[in-house]
Amino acid sequence: MVPPVAVSPVIKTARWSFLLIGMFYGKQRYDYLKPRAEKERLVEEAEKKIREEQEKIAKALAEGNIFFNSSEC
Amino acid sequence: MAQAVQKLVAKVPTLIGAAATYSKPRLATFWHYAKVELVPPSPAEIPQAIIGIKNIVTGVNSGRLGQTTVKDAFRNGLVCTEVMMWFYIGECIGKGGIVGYAV
Repeated sequence: MVPPVAVSPVIKTARWSFLLIGMFYGKQRYDYLKPRAEKERLVEEAEKKIREEQEKIAKALAEGNIFFNSSEC
Repeated sequence: MAQAVQKLVAKVPTLIGAAATYSKPRLATFWHYAKVELVPPSPAEIPQAIIGIKNIVTGVNSGRLGQTTVKDAFRNGLVCTEVMMWFYIGECIGKGGIVGYAV
């Protein structure tokens, strides 16, 4: 087996400091994104409700129109 | 259907045993190399690392780094890419997921 190579200290510190910085960055970004995602979800739900109401009204109108058409003849 | 499931369930211990026997020597070689190459820097090595970074900066300023061969530059580029990947692994650990943020 090839003997393990002695890694230079620069590379070792760079690797492990990047790992730690990455962990901090991931945690911070997650904490930044979480409340925004919650707000967006609430807005999306409200808009979806309004959209569904409008679709129901449009559908009822369409069916009502068909009903009116058939009653005319 | 039930018989096929039973046969599969009976095979699982043998599969796990086969996986263990396959992976043990490979894990041993991985540990053999990782113990030396992947360990974090000891407190004595951090000043050496700072000196090394200063050497690199002086190398850039003096133009010595412009003299690196393409082979060396390629090798250094691969090493830098590997170091950058550790940042993204850290980010995955920090955000608690592999793909995307689970918000």
